This record gives sequence, structure tokens and C-alpha cells, in this order.
Amino acid sequence: MLRLPISVLVSTLLLVSTEIVIDGFVTITHAQQAKQAAIRLASGDHKEGYESPQYQTDSLSLEVRSGVEANLFAIVNTAQFGLPKKAEGRFLEPSEPAIKLGRKLFFDRRLSRNKTMSCAMCHIPEQGFTNNELQRPIGFEGRAIKRNAPTILNVVYYQRLFADARENRLEQQVWGPLLASNEMNNPSVGQVIDTLAQLPEYPKLFEDAFGEMPNMLNVGQALAQYQQALLAGNSRFDQWRYGRQQDVLNAEEKEGFALFAGKAQCSSCHIVGDEYALFTDQALHDTGVGYQVSMRPETTTISVQLAPGVVGQLDKSVVDSVGEDKPNDVGRYEVTLDPADRWKYRTASLRNIALTAPYMHNGTFASLESVVRFYNAGGVPHDGQSALIRPLGLSADEQAALVAFMRTLTGSNVGELVADAFAAPIGDTSSTSR
Amino acid sequence: MKFNLKSMAYASVLALALGVSATQADETCMSPYMAKIVGQEDFVYVWTLGEEGLGDEQDKLVTISVNPSAPDYGTVIETLSVGGRNEAHHSGLTDDRHYLWAGGLDSNKIFIFDVHSDPAKPTLFKTIDDFVAKSGGVVGPHTFYALAGRIMITGLSNNADHGGRTALVEYTNTGDYIATHWMPTDDNLQGAIKSGQFADGYGYDLRAMPRRNAMFTSSFTGWNNYMMDFGTMLQDPEAMKRFGNTAVVWDLHTRKPKKVFDMPGAPLEIRCAWKPENNYCFTTTALTSQIWLMYEDEEGEWQAQAVGDIGDPSKIPLPVDISITADDNGLWVQTFMDGKARYFDVSDPFAPKQTYEKVIGSQLNMISQSWDGKRAYFTSSLLDNWDKKGEADEQFFKSYTWNGEELNLEFEIDFKAEKLGSAHQMRFGAYGLYGMERPWEAAAAAVNKSDKSSDLAAQ
Repeated sequence: MLRLPISVLVSTLLLVSTEIVIDGFVTITHAQQAKQAAIRLASGDHKEGYESPQYQTDSLSLEVRSGVEANLFAIVNTAQFGLPKKAEGRFLEPSEPAIKLGRKLFFDRRLSRNKTMSCAMCHIPEQGFTNNELQRPIGFEGRAIKRNAPTILNVVYYQRLFADARENRLEQQVWGPLLASNEMNNPSVGQVIDTLAQLPEYPKLFEDAFGEMPNMLNVGQALAQYQQALLAGNSRFDQWRYGRQQDVLNAEEKEGFALFAGKAQCSSCHIVGDEYALFTDQALHDTGVGYQVSMRPETTTISVQLAPGVVGQLDKSVVDSVGEDKPNDVGRYEVTLDPADRWKYRTASLRNIALTAPYMHNGTFASLESVVRFYNAGGVPHDGQSALIRPLGLSADEQAALVAFMRTLTGSNVGELVADAFAAPIGDTSSTSR
Repeated sequence: MKFNLKSMAYASVLALALGVSATQADETCMSPYMAKIVGQEDFVYVWTLGEEGLGDEQDKLVTISVNPSAPDYGTVIETLSVGGRNEAHHSGLTDDRHYLWAGGLDSNKIFIFDVHSDPAKPTLFKTIDDFVAKSGGVVGPHTFYALAGRIMITGLSNNADHGGRTALVEYTNTGDYIATHWMPTDDNLQGAIKSGQFADGYGYDLRAMPRRNAMFTSSFTGWNNYMMDFGTMLQDPEAMKRFGNTAVVWDLHTRKPKKVFDMPGAPLEIRCAWKPENNYCFTTTALTSQIWLMYEDEEGEWQAQAVGDIGDPSKIPLPVDISITADDNGLWVQTFMDGKARYFDVSDPFAPKQTYEKVIGSQLNMISQSWDGKRAYFTSSLLDNWDKKGEADEQFFKSYTWNGEELNLEFEIDFKAEKLGSAHQMRFGAYGLYGMERPWEAAAAAVNKSDKSSDLAAQ
């Protein structure tokens, strides 16, 4: 057994499980430690440097994608440096059986119409609970989804959900993807409920968690219970700012934070408080990203990466011959029909931002460096662009410092959450018919 | 010659001769374990994608009569819908040719058709719904390749991230799961040699060369990409990084990978030479438009090298299906974007030369050539969301004759006008495979016999 000091604010709860005991220390087994340490917090299909002829693979086998179940009930009941108290979020009263049920539902591919899509196919645990491999994920039968998959780490703290803020509670939000024709494509709520009732393992789990068979309300609650337990704070930044551990950040990272809160004015929207930081103002802004896609002329030539170090140039007409029309995206306007809301999107939290590329509501930027360059240039000036977006005059070193700072925002327990997700069974059809 | 001429004795193959063929041409792209036929095929089975808003919208097996002597020659004589749009893609016959396995890259269902009880009217024998669960997470059953009493299936993806890492999955001919063989990755090369910079764990096609105890696999992309709108994917830099850049040579008997080759740009179909002294296989890279050769050198070591370009690679013609001729001297290469069938003289496998090309349609994917090389059939669809849009989305089956110099159209079937869907993989069928007489020949023989009897009676 190993005894590891934990750098979290321990709640008054004394949480005991077979795996973890929190009494100022986390106690885990060697096997658990080995599994968590072995987890790479990125796609096992390593593509960094793919643009270069010198690119080399560093691929992981899928067989190593096995984990160890975490005590999510303990995590949701435990305060972490940098995260607000539960009252600041929209928490349901945590329930261990409901969390376990929600976790199983989250990874169950049978919850889509043709049994191929689970929530986790777009919110992939080791990819920051988002999808690093696509700008915008695809859904049922490959249908286009017009926005980037957001991370669900710390999602419970959002006051409004989706990039256009059209939903207000997690237990309601889950029905959006379940029913959307281009996501999981279930034809009705009843179809989902019937599917769950007919799968042999679910009725008892619902009885245990809710004392009743699956219905529209408790399916949403179960999925919300799992997602609200995916709390990932206590980052190096949190330990430095809220834990008063001065040596946790290096000089460049500290300079980056000073810029973040000062010259670069990032914290105007990505708010950092005195007691905690959600890195979002929960508001919607027009940064120019959406406007640019909708309104600026398209390029006539498309650069296409064909292989490592090999780029081709395709005429746009050739690309169009094999492409559907790109769905337009006018942001919050699509919810309110108010012209003032055109191209406004909810400010994303920056927590765990190093894990969640590509960036912005449409995944248009591959790296944090390109995001900073965009804001440093002042966005895409046009009527309606937020007055907060303007040229920043940051030097190259200052931009690098900002990026270095943002890389300090990865929660200390993300590995534990990913290992837990790896331990969750993936639901697939298990019958053969004649 | 750079490859080993001192080959082992040519492994015997199950041969079931039909008719008479001076060329003794093989069914050129099939498994050497498979019963093969020479002479005139009677049917082409077309594994067809259902299209939303067209006909019954379902995937289906379409049976086309292709024997010129048949009264229903050139027509669709049977369709068998299977339910749903599964992203119908490839199919393959068991070694005894009794069953045709056809997969859905999206739903992961595998449909096993009985094509021997009545070759003119296939029936659905079994549907495997649990391929993903049984295999331990493999998604996208692609190639169905006959080994002795077994079907080896290549996967394209997985159920964890819908990316490209995947495995081979082995079944019995009757549909019982046997084993999963994961593609080699950097952290677990399984004893294979990583010969270059890449070991991506991706998969696509598979071919075996029993005489050299070798099996070969290529690499494409995962569910995220093959299900995505093609135009959208081309403009997504992250997605374009998720293509395979490898081919792997395996020990056929132990199913263990031996060597991983760098092959940048998504090597797809693999076609191995037939002659016992020709220990090499071709493949082509979809994105970089190159012909690659995997060959055994004089030391008995397998090597790989690019041996030629296909069209103008800078224009990304997208080579897709290929087909080797039975004498190993020719290679058909189809390019999707310009709809061309291209014939390469590969008599020197290290220096292919294109000698002929013809536009078959606005888009083009599959080719199947007859045993004797005199007939070639073409279909149009690549992947549902990769096919061209609007009027350019022609969906057809076209039958040509090939005289060595020119392709001549014999007949064509418009799969949209017939409300069938998008035409993809083709496999051949024939009455003679199963000891059956062709009905129209039997009927004619009966009439002749009757006429002779009448004549005798009249005398």
C-alpha cells in the first residue's frame, strides 16, 4: 500500500470505500497506482508532429485501456482546490447507485438507434472527455454535428448548457443528444425507456438507484449524477493560488497568469475569483470566430494533409463535389432569434484546457498557441463583436507565457477519472440472430 | 529480380473447374483457399447500400444475371433487403463458397447469405449482431477473407474512441467467434519489427500467401472518418491525421505480426501474385496515389517499396479498388475522383506502366474481373458519405468486355432508377459450383431430348 499526500481541501465527510480512504491521505493499492500512472491523458493514437516528415507513431494498444473504478461518490462530496462549493453548481443530491447507473448509461452504445453511439463516443475519457481527433464530432450514420464536443469535466458548474446556452440543467440536457437526429437518433423518449427496460441488467439498477423502473426523469438524473461527479480541480494553478504553494508554478507560468489577469484581459470573461475559479463568466460573447465562418468569403484552395509531411492542394470545387453544404451556425441567435445574439457563444471554462483540443465552439483552432494568436490579433473586427476583443499587443514571449499558464489548469485527479472510465463496461449488443 | 525465385512449392488450392478456359485464369482477387471457377459466371452479387429516400431505404444483396446465354441476362433477378442502413461495404465467400459474408461498417452487423442452396436466389442464413462484443471492441468489419474453414475479418475501428486502431477477427465458416488478433502498436509490437517510423495499429484489407506462410494487412481509417462527410473531413486537419500509414506482414499460421512497413497515405486493397515464383503483393495508397509492392527479397526477407504513381498524385485521384490479372502481368486500378479504370502493365512489378484508361462514370470504386480476364464489372459507390453529391452521385453496375486493348460496355444497371441504392462490393456465383445445371440449358437439353425422341418416334 502507498500513502500519498493529497493536496485537496478535505471535506468534513469521512469517506470510506474499499479502494480509497480519505483522512488527509489517499490510500491506493500498487496495482491501482500502476494503472493510473500508465494512463496517457491523450489519444492513444498519438499524432503530435504529424505535419512533419519526421513524425513517428507512439501508439498504444487498446488492450491497455483498462482502468480501476474510482469512488466517484467520494469525489463529488470532496472539495477540491479551485472549485467552488457545491452550492455554486447545480448538483443533485449525490447518490452512489445513481452515479454507478449513470456511468453505465454513459458508456452504453445501445442507447442510440442503431446501437453504435454512446455519450462516450464523443466525450472520450482520455481525450479530456471530449474528442481531440475531430474539429466537430459526427453522429448517427456519420451525420454532421456543427459544434465541437465540449468537455464534461466540471460541467455541473455551468449555469447554462450547450455553446448556445439553450439548456439549463444537466438532467434535461442529456435528452438533447439522445433524441437529436444527427447524434444518437432515438425516435422518441419512449423508445429509449423501452430499450432500457428490455435490457436485462438495467431494471434492477434503476430500482436500486431510484426505486422505480426507467423513465424520462430518472434517466436524465442518472446521467447527470455521473457527470456531476467528474470534478477535476486541484490543478497546479489551484495549488499555487488557493493552496498557497509558491513553488508549484514556475516563473513563466506565473507571468502567464499575470498577463491573463492583466494585459491580455482574459480574466474579463474567464473569471478567476478569490476563493475559486471557474474560468467562465457564464455569459455569451461574439468573439468573431462564428462571424468569420458565416460571413467571410471561403478560400478557393484547400490544403489537405495527405500523410506525415505530405500536403496536397485541392481546388474548393473538388472538395465541394464530395461534400455536403456546411451547416451555418449563428450561435445564440438560433435560440432567441434576436439579431443582437448573432454569433454569440457561451464562454468556455479553461479548466483542463490542455486536454481538450481542438478549441472554440467549432474546433477551428488546433492549439492553444493559435487561440492566443487569434485573440492577440483582436478577433475578426465587425459590428457586434464583443468590445472586450481587441488587439492585445502581446509579444511572442508573452503569448508563450499565456499558453504555459493555461497548461497548469489540468486537474490533479483527471487520471483517476479516466482510469475509472476505462473500468466502465462498454455496452454493445450481445446477441446473434438467425 | 529482387524477389526470391526459389520459392516453396506452390500450395495447392481448392479448384473447382467450371467450363473450359484456355487461359486457366483464376478468380483473380480471391483467397487461394477458396474453391475457384474458370469459365462463365452466372451471377454477380452486389452488396448495396440503402439510401435514405430511395426505394425501401435498406441495405440489400442484389443479384444480377450476367451469363449472356441466360434469358434474363443483364437484369436484376433478385433483391434481399436486410434492414437498416448498416454502411454496407465489403463481402467475401467462405472457402467452400456456400456462404457469402457481408458486413456493415456502421452497425457492425454481419449478414451471412446462403448462396449455394439456390445461387439465383440467396437467402439470409444468419445475422451476427454481436461482432463488437465478441471481438472485444472491434468496430467496422471490412474484409471477409476465406482461410481453411474459417473467415478472417479485418476491422477498421474500435468501440473505445471510433479511431483507427483495430484488429483481425477470426470466425468459423458457420459464424462462431474464434479469436481476435490486434494490430501491432508501438507499446505492443507483438514481436514484429517496426521497420520505419510508423506502427499505427490501423487495419483495412487482408490477403494470404500460403506458399510463403505469409499474410498481409493494410490500413485505412476509423469510424469517425469513414462515416464522415468526405468534403467536411478534407477540411478538418485533425481528421486528416487519422489515416493509416502502414502495412503489416504476418505469420499466417501463428497469426502473429512479423514486420510493420511504412506506407504513407492509407494503403487499401492488397492483391497478391498467383505464380509460385512471384512472391509479391501490390497495394495502392488512397491519399498519396502510389502503387506499392511488398516482396520477398533474395534473403527471404519481406520488403516494401513504392514502385509507381497513379495519375497525377497532386490532384488526389484517390485510387480505391485494384485487381490483378491471373497471369500477374496486369493490374486494374480504379480512381474514384475522376471515375477512371486504369490498366497497368506490371510484368515488371518494380516498374508498373499505365497502358490504358477509360472513364467509367462520374465516380468509380469497385472492379471484379472474370476468371479469364475477358469481362470486367464495375460499381460506383465508395462510402455513403464519401460518394459525390448531386447529379455526380451516379450509382451503377456496369458490365464490360476486355479484349486486351479496349473496354466495351455490354450493359449497365442504374441503381438509382431501379430504386436499389448505392452499388458496392461484387462477388460471383455460378450454378456449376454446386453441381447444378443452368436451368435454361437443362430446359434446352430437355427440349432437344424431347425433339429427338419425337423424331425417333416419327421414324
